[in-house]
Amino acid sequence: MRRAVLSCAALSATIPLTLTACSGGGTASAQASPGAEPATGGIVQVLEKPDFSHLDPARGFDGGVNNFYRLIYRTLTTRAAAGPHSSGTKIVADLATDTGRPSDNNKTWAFTLKKGLFFENGSPITSRDVKFGVERAWDPDAGIGSPYAKQVIAAPADYQGPYRSGDLDTIETPDDRTVVFHLKRSYPQFASVAAQPNFTPFPKGTGAKAAFDREPIASGPYRVASYRRGSALKLVRNKHWKRSSDPVRTARPDGFVWTFGLDAATIDERLISGQGKDINAIGPKVQPATISRLRTPQLKQRTLTGVTGCTTYMSLNTTKGPLRDVRVRQAIEYAVNKQTTVDALGGSALATAATSIEPPSIPGRDATDVYPSKDGTGDPAAARRLLARAGFAKGFTLTVDTRAAATEQAVAVAIQQGLKRVGITVKINTIDTSTFYEVIGTPSQQHDAALTGWCPDWPGGTTFLPPLFDGRTISAKGNSVLSMLDDKKIQKRIDEIAAMRDETAQNAAYGKLDAQIMKLAPIVPLNYTKNVVVVGSNIAGAHPSISYSGGIDLVGIGLADPKK
Amino acid sequence: MLRYVAGRLAWVLVILLAVCVFTYVIFFQLSPDPAVMICGKTCTQERIETIRTSLGLDRPFFQQLGDFLRGIVAGRDYGAGANLVHCPAPCLGYSFQSGQSVWEMVQQRLPVSVTVAVGAAVLWLLFGILFGLLSGVKEGTWWDRATMALALGGSSIPPYVLALALQYLLVVKLRVLPFPAAVPFAEDPAVWFQSYLMPWTVLAVGYACLYARLTRANVIDTLAENFMRTARAKGLGPVLILRRHALRPALTPIVTIFGMDFAGLLGGALITETVFGLNGVGKMASDAIAKNDQPVIMAVTLLAAFFVVVGNVVVDLLYTALDPRVRITAS
Amino acid sequence: MATTTLHEAQQELPPGPPGAAPPGGTGRRVLRALLHDIGAVLSTAFLALIVLMALCAPLISALTGHGPDTFDSAAVDNDLGGLPKGSLGGISGDHWLGVEPQNGRDILARIAYGARISLLIAVSATALTTVIGVVLGLLAGFYGRWVDQAISRLMDFLMAFPALIFMIAVLSALPAGNRPLLLVIVLSAFGWPYLARVVRGQTLTLTGREFVEAARASGAGSRALIFSEILPNLRSTIIVMTTLAVPGYIGTEAGLSFLGVGVTPPTASWGQMIASSVSWYQVDPMYFVIPGTFLFGTVLALTVVGDRLRHALDAGEAS
Repeated sequence: MRRAVLSCAALSATIPLTLTACSGGGTASAQASPGAEPATGGIVQVLEKPDFSHLDPARGFDGGVNNFYRLIYRTLTTRAAAGPHSSGTKIVADLATDTGRPSDNNKTWAFTLKKGLFFENGSPITSRDVKFGVERAWDPDAGIGSPYAKQVIAAPADYQGPYRSGDLDTIETPDDRTVVFHLKRSYPQFASVAAQPNFTPFPKGTGAKAAFDREPIASGPYRVASYRRGSALKLVRNKHWKRSSDPVRTARPDGFVWTFGLDAATIDERLISGQGKDINAIGPKVQPATISRLRTPQLKQRTLTGVTGCTTYMSLNTTKGPLRDVRVRQAIEYAVNKQTTVDALGGSALATAATSIEPPSIPGRDATDVYPSKDGTGDPAAARRLLARAGFAKGFTLTVDTRAAATEQAVAVAIQQGLKRVGITVKINTIDTSTFYEVIGTPSQQHDAALTGWCPDWPGGTTFLPPLFDGRTISAKGNSVLSMLDDKKIQKRIDEIAAMRDETAQNAAYGKLDAQIMKLAPIVPLNYTKNVVVVGSNIAGAHPSISYSGGIDLVGIGLADPKK
Repeated sequence: MLRYVAGRLAWVLVILLAVCVFTYVIFFQLSPDPAVMICGKTCTQERIETIRTSLGLDRPFFQQLGDFLRGIVAGRDYGAGANLVHCPAPCLGYSFQSGQSVWEMVQQRLPVSVTVAVGAAVLWLLFGILFGLLSGVKEGTWWDRATMALALGGSSIPPYVLALALQYLLVVKLRVLPFPAAVPFAEDPAVWFQSYLMPWTVLAVGYACLYARLTRANVIDTLAENFMRTARAKGLGPVLILRRHALRPALTPIVTIFGMDFAGLLGGALITETVFGLNGVGKMASDAIAKNDQPVIMAVTLLAAFFVVVGNVVVDLLYTALDPRVRITAS
Repeated sequence: MATTTLHEAQQELPPGPPGAAPPGGTGRRVLRALLHDIGAVLSTAFLALIVLMALCAPLISALTGHGPDTFDSAAVDNDLGGLPKGSLGGISGDHWLGVEPQNGRDILARIAYGARISLLIAVSATALTTVIGVVLGLLAGFYGRWVDQAISRLMDFLMAFPALIFMIAVLSALPAGNRPLLLVIVLSAFGWPYLARVVRGQTLTLTGREFVEAARASGAGSRALIFSEILPNLRSTIIVMTTLAVPGYIGTEAGLSFLGVGVTPPTASWGQMIASSVSWYQVDPMYFVIPGTFLFGTVLALTVVGDRLRHALDAGEAS
């Protein structure tokens, strides 16, 4: 679980202008035509900045590529399609007939495959193909995507995936249509794990040497017709996919064409002016400068806002200098001006000031702000009182690690200005984008504080609070407990909540734990980010999904008039 | 003559080798660990070691350098056993970001850069020489002064400022040009021309102004020389003098400078392509720099050095052909 | 950019060997010539303004009440992505040149503090280039043989480098550290050969001339020859090339900051301001017009002064 931030980072690292972007949630604004029912046929154009991280679902794991995977791959379970009445978070059956049958106190999970499932080459999808696909998660080269399979499913310590170690005995295939997983421990949310991209089936023995990054084997409604890395990707219909077997994907268009390597400003300009084929196009999050241009009624109608479900935060290393004193950390909570960090991310349209660690899209969240201030602008007087009591009335110097990208720099400067009000001098330590997460995940290398973000892998406290605050998981490398908080009371509570059978009660308990953690001030929650996109005038069925960084759910999108 | 050419070519090889070694030392020894960067976010110590071995980073420095140089000349293999990947010559390695062969990336993007460079060169030669000649002939007139003032201004404007100004005026305000995009010529020649017009102009302005000033100075010098007085004494008119006698000596130095400027154009193209979002080699370099994608940065640096060095030699040889005096001194 | 300007300076230098004009009187004559030239006077006035702004940057901040890094959230519209309120990029009695989008930092204060950085880097790089260029150029030209061989090969090597690309690459590879210092070093490392080549050529010519031969015959040592015979005769060349190097370095520094490898935020820099204005040029054109104008104006003014200075010195030598 602790790897979630790092996998989340995979996307952030490739898109310099987004501070956090992983999985998340949002609600569609369904009044406009982009939300209407699409017609069948036509080609949807997608304009993008960087290329996908990996086409191999065992390797890629970020909001953007997870969304794309659903067009060409199917998994045992999946999230419901986002729509006018669906936020796109509910786990539903996909290849399987149901969301899994647990036994042995949630330690054994059985799935039955539907009938009539085929790969793009026409061969049937069997339980052994599902098993093989999941086993790839243990391969040291391929298994760099979603960490959950490896964390939850029991396996010998030296198991290294199907290419090196052969079959994994803890995944059983009693017949062609049944697959049974034996877990390390009770895991009530295994249905969510089975929706992870690395639960994609592949014909046994395929996919060595990163072959799927070039030529994936499709099980979903589309297959890759051509792919030029960094410039274009074309999807056409997979004629072996049966609509009757798939209630999630409407698959209205005849194909998709991605154009990569475009400049952010160019994409915004093309979508706004909407000439030629661009009326059938969608793009990534708009730039802050574009927000003020979206005021005309025509453009307002073509603008969709989704919540990313991520929290941007500044970690405070509780083992360093003055930060060891909880009063100093609390003073920083009061001193930061969250409103200026919102401005740095593009204003109210793209972010809102945070009050708790969990964002509003998490069920059971408790919105109470432990350190309240007017509009999140901070309370310097309260901060100064706390600092004086802690013996730091004259302030001190705080080194903040941040990525070398424009938006992150802007947020860092906003923090710097906020803390200056109480005499704390912030030194901004810029770290190269490609090594940032490596550095801050190594406790011996990280400084006093770090600017980063966190997105849950499915809505709920399970993938939000334990990975960030369970001090027992602190490790010398790849550490996600950036605060280094090692609090026995919190750890005890995390164990108690994990043992709960009822998910609703569990989430409510996490909501209360959020406030309990905030009293110790290990991180400063800065803001919750939003995803604003402009779509072409002929786009229909566009609904931002809570599960894909607030991006438009690709499985439901299409064209209003395919002849245009 | 043959010995002269051979000497120059040997010199090219020495310089390129030196550039290779120098860039290699800077990038692979001074900057962050490549294995850590490739390993990325879900990284374990074990995986870092695997990557180090497959890249040959565990070998001594000189062997690594040798591998790199051999890769360029003869190709090389990465990894071993089941994961063996052969990288054919000229092997510049694989991008840390996309895993794509760097040589393939260069090949894909070079056409855009060549289009930008050639178009700009045509523009600046045309306007630079034309205005330079006119100014030189009419030295001291108001036309000459106005042109030269303009040329001074034009060579002082930073390309990215000019790019933004043009884009704001022509695309946003007047709407006479489309938003720049690398439209292939075959798709729509008219749109192709329109969308490259601004990048060409931005890249050409600085050089055009410089060339106008140089041409003017050369024309004035040539017109003042003795043989010109003879020609005038023969009763030839100014236009005829210019065409028959002055043009060649006045333009010969321009050839030299043009060769070097054109060869060094990749640097200028970097800013132009970045500002206009054109997917050429320059944009590739600036993207790679933003993500610290070392193999790509290395490749572009080497490519640019290659152009500069080869450009220099071509100029030398061309100059020898154009001006007999050089041949004598050279041999 | 630096290379272009230097390259240009070198191309337009007087073709013949430098004359041995007596040092006395030249300064006054050049000054008189410059005072008669409207372009030179205007340029000098503009430069004086920029230098004054740079020197008085803290005073300007105190006067307007806005530091270069101070946020003014009230001056930007939070609901419109942080667009400055009011027309012309938020120009008002409070913010004389408007504010930056998204955070409301005062543009006047940032321009003034940015001028400090630009000038500091350009002048330091020029000083360093001049010292290295003159010393190595003199050594190569005066001693000849293997010294000349070694220095000339080094110059060939450095000039074969695609300077701009390499500067960007080196700066991106090196750790953040002290950016301004790194910039000065990198700019100088690739800039000095252009001056050294000219100095070497002229030294070579001068060493063979009669007055040097005569001095040598009368028993003057190498040091005396260099300092009292050769160096004074290189003075005008060095002045002209140095003056023309400054705008080149200002442009290059801004270009490097524009590409994101220059000084690090929140330090104000003109190039960086222009870079961050790229995405805003459609809705807030003043954000690039103001720093763009200052950058253009400074480079132009310095180029004009350098150009006129050269003409004035040339005229002196011709007479």
